[in-house]
Amino acid sequence: MLGNDIVDLDLAKTQSNWRRKNYLNKIFTADEQLLITSAKNPDDMVWLLWSMKESAYKIYNRKTGIRNFAPKSLNCVIHSDTGQIHGTVNVDDNTYFTKSDIYTTYLHTIASVESVKLKDISMAIYKSPNHLFDYKSTNPGCVSHHGQYLALVY
Amino acid sequence: MNKEEIIEALKTIVEPYSEEVSALAHIDENTDFINDLKINSANLVDIVLDIEEKFNIEIDNDSMAKMLTVKATTEIIVQKLEAHAG
Repeated sequence: MLGNDIVDLDLAKTQSNWRRKNYLNKIFTADEQLLITSAKNPDDMVWLLWSMKESAYKIYNRKTGIRNFAPKSLNCVIHSDTGQIHGTVNVDDNTYFTKSDIYTTYLHTIASVESVKLKDISMAIYKSPNHLFDYKSTNPGCVSHHGQYLALVY
Repeated sequence: MNKEEIIEALKTIVEPYSEEVSALAHIDENTDFINDLKINSANLVDIVLDIEEKFNIEIDNDSMAKMLTVKATTEIIVQKLEAHAG
């Protein structure tokens, strides 16, 4: 089972004001908030952690059938921050493994229940207007859409 | 504040976060914030914060977890307002 999540960083800037009072406290644990406040680029860290949670939630939701909005119950740990970013997300008794790539205009995270499977995931990222096609017929394992971007994983 | 008034206030709160004109016009108890109004999940947090400000209530994490539909959200607001009054 696969999960993924793409964030259009230009859209995120205008769509969400994470500096709003109480915003971070609603979605991030104390440890995650510390990562954000101590980050060189706090904006990237907010959306990196958010995409880790979203991609893990997409597996969790399909696996357990639970549908909720409890971002704080998904605990992120980042294991490396050079080049490719590896992490884990824990929710209840489940652990999901993530790998993220940060670019200037977007960031993308993939998630898997097994860390060894991450390297076998193939990704396809399309930017508007090239994202308007019948992607469902390609039978992706997970789909993420945000702003100008469409990300598919197989 | 009765249920209809709460739904009306909710409509005003969610409007800036949705571009689904038709779904917004027909908002009712069964409206789902993500499936029907296509609200970005990061903006659900804004909606929760807007609700806290508008109704002067505090929404705990367990309550927030259920707030994916107008029905569940209205029930939580009613509960919190009652607890506040009591």
